[in-house]
Amino acid sequence: MRERMEKALRKSDAEFAEIRIENATSSWVTFRGEDLDSIGSASTLGGIVRALVKGGWGYATFNDLEDLETRVQEACESARLVGKEESRFAVVEPVTDVISADMERDFRQVPLSEKKATIEEYNKIVLGYHDRIETSVTSYNDRFRKVWYSNSQGTHIEDERPDLVVSLSATAREGDNVQRGFESVAGGAGFQIIEGLEHKAEEVAKRAVDLLSAPPVTGGTYTVIINPRLAGVFAHEAFGHLSEADAVYENEHMKELMVLGKRFGPDILNIIDDGTVQGQRGTQRYDDEGVRAKKNYLIRNGILVGRLHSRETAAKMDEQPTGNARAIGYQHPPIVRMTNTFIDKGQDRFEDMIGDVNLGLYALDMVGGQTAMEMFTFSAAYGYMIRQGTIAELVRDVVLTGNVFETLQNIDKIGDAIELPPIGGGCGKAGQSPLPVGLGGPYVRIQNVVVGGRQQ
Amino acid sequence: MIVNRLIENAMTRAQGAQASLGRSESESISFENDKLKSAESAQSTSMSVKVVVNGKIGSSHTTDIQDIDGVVERALEAAECGSPAHFDFPGPKKGQNVKVYDDAVQAVKKGEMVRTGEEMMGLVKEYNTDILVSAGVHKGVGTREFANSAGIAYTTQSTSFGVEVEGQLIRGTDILWAGHGLGLKKRELDHREMARKTVALFRMAENTAPARSGQMPVIFAPEGMPVLLLALSLGVDGKNVFLGSSPLAGKLGKKVTDERLSITDNPLIDYGGGSGTYDGEGVPHQATPLIEKGVLRNFLYDLDTAGRAGVKTTGNGVGCSPTNLIVNEGTTSYEDMVKYTKEGLLVHSVLGLGQGNPMSGEFSVNLHVAYKIENGEVVGRVKDVMLAGNTYTALKNIMAIGDTAEWAGGTLLTPPIQIANLSVIAR
Repeated sequence: MRERMEKALRKSDAEFAEIRIENATSSWVTFRGEDLDSIGSASTLGGIVRALVKGGWGYATFNDLEDLETRVQEACESARLVGKEESRFAVVEPVTDVISADMERDFRQVPLSEKKATIEEYNKIVLGYHDRIETSVTSYNDRFRKVWYSNSQGTHIEDERPDLVVSLSATAREGDNVQRGFESVAGGAGFQIIEGLEHKAEEVAKRAVDLLSAPPVTGGTYTVIINPRLAGVFAHEAFGHLSEADAVYENEHMKELMVLGKRFGPDILNIIDDGTVQGQRGTQRYDDEGVRAKKNYLIRNGILVGRLHSRETAAKMDEQPTGNARAIGYQHPPIVRMTNTFIDKGQDRFEDMIGDVNLGLYALDMVGGQTAMEMFTFSAAYGYMIRQGTIAELVRDVVLTGNVFETLQNIDKIGDAIELPPIGGGCGKAGQSPLPVGLGGPYVRIQNVVVGGRQQ
Repeated sequence: MIVNRLIENAMTRAQGAQASLGRSESESISFENDKLKSAESAQSTSMSVKVVVNGKIGSSHTTDIQDIDGVVERALEAAECGSPAHFDFPGPKKGQNVKVYDDAVQAVKKGEMVRTGEEMMGLVKEYNTDILVSAGVHKGVGTREFANSAGIAYTTQSTSFGVEVEGQLIRGTDILWAGHGLGLKKRELDHREMARKTVALFRMAENTAPARSGQMPVIFAPEGMPVLLLALSLGVDGKNVFLGSSPLAGKLGKKVTDERLSITDNPLIDYGGGSGTYDGEGVPHQATPLIEKGVLRNFLYDLDTAGRAGVKTTGNGVGCSPTNLIVNEGTTSYEDMVKYTKEGLLVHSVLGLGQGNPMSGEFSVNLHVAYKIENGEVVGRVKDVMLAGNTYTALKNIMAIGDTAEWAGGTLLTPPIQIANLSVIAR
């Protein structure tokens, strides 16, 4: 493959060109209710050529690998149509590297029948938990990607990227009241990480049943404590996206708003994006431009100290590349993305965070989040009211909102331990979704958070 | 056709089989931060097989159209531990002819796509040069072969053409991102209108208006309508109904919304984003009334789900999802809706839709592009505001339905709708 790619790249007359080819095999099993809903497998092979001419990019994506040289020429031609200025693209040392996945129990060797049997067991636990459990969705998805990357500057990388997700969802119903419990376990790892999840299946069913009798949270402004799983999506939505340099590099107003050295939060706040954490879903040795992943501080002691870059944004902002140019697959060019993003641990114990809260909300686990740069939203799977310093009743439909220029400043306590749970889900940006990312963090307390919901 | 070879190959061991093969070529141009950024050409192929062996289903998919034996082999393997089939592959039936192919798309050159993007950007810049503009223009041409073991064999061709334009305006720490786009299956598309609609969103946001917490009427513009329709489209999904997770289960023939509301799933509209003569299982498409004058009429089914539920497929395979959702026009002009609102909101786009428990109908969203209406006029953009309610309650409390439907996206054709009272939380 390397020879073919390098031969095709010699057809390039662009200032920079690269080829990324991906072969992915995947399999899936889904139960809905008592019945098996879908089972199957897929294999895909495809690639993308990217070429840079005078600051303009040309891309050519393909499934047919026969005409690699033609695809290179196509991408160069497209780039010439676009390019009108001087190219700026950060220099990195060319590397040659071959990375093999370390999965322990390789899921490609596990028969489909065993994948089915494993989650069928979880599905039975969910359905058998209680009379009020109406139905379930229990699914297994694995994907093994082999990626070959070559560029015109001499880099050649062969990388294996396994990804495995099991998600468990229970639906409980009482008349028109329909509630859901949800959990997922995921990782760039082998089959062993999804074995022995019986307790998770039970938790999911219990949550759905419990939520039937929980009232929706009353909308308003609260002191909110978020657990590590929710703190991950908070760091991702509240700040992570704004630190992606492609939102900043050609935008003079944004450069002013996001100038390094500016205060965004209290001294206790540190936010990190780290593509090197072992076993996390956002981890990879190189990004999709051949840049080595690293640990990048975004906020240190409350001050903006860094941002996430591609080779283009780094060059245009005179900063260093950070290894954050990622693509969800061969049909897309790499764009600036997060890897594993989290708030670093602080010094507070959970008891001290909750003790002096008269009326507040303890929000747990995540179902999602979205940002429009300045304003953002993130949703908890469930929550508890905090009354007079103790955890009180369970509440549902917990959606929190914030504004990046205010909410981070309102963080006043950060827990003394960090958790990076292996959860599923992914990030979406510019039509590329879902990209596996790692989410986690400590317990975090935030003042004055707007919580959606109906009023009493 | 390759699909016939796949069927022949599968039928040596299966009792039923279905195969499809797709090839497509597309081109796109994108502008970022006021500049032409990239040009792309894409070539793709894909091939899928579904088999039934001893009453069990197995399926497999590949991008390698040479791999006929492999894809069949993997489908047969999956069938060994597959789910029971509740259907027979259907025989050929003539579908209604729907236009989904437009020669004019094929003829579009990259230069023309660049000019289309430049024109949209120019119109936004003409309004305000401080707005940083991005835009995209896309065209695609595809062919799909389909066959099954009951004698269906056909080839369809389709085209697509879409544009989008988006602006970003920063004033102090105030950031507004707003834009408009549309993709259909024909070339004819008024790209200047997308730019004009984008400008209108910025014009209304020139002032920021304070919002207060409380109950107030809310107008959903066509592109804001998914807030109200998401739960409904999950609720009419036959599989959710069969499994009992849809709150609409058991309510056929009952009144579920205001009687002025009618909604149809209609894949027979020429050039609609979800249009076509056949569904993904070779069944002729049909228009299916979902809600007629407030009364729930039908759910959407594919072959297998229909078999399980003991009903007929509605041609919504595979997956029981809507094709194009069409909301009937009402009698109130958009202008009058605004004019007769003393205090209320106008919603164009939201953040956080679909998080949580969307099937239940509950929504709690952050208003992204939304405006305050006071004494019959739009007075400015609202920010840091949450809107909450329940779809099923809201659709019983309709104040007015707009008299002009517009495409929002490419698979939803709807007028604006005003809901009497929703919960607003501001700081």
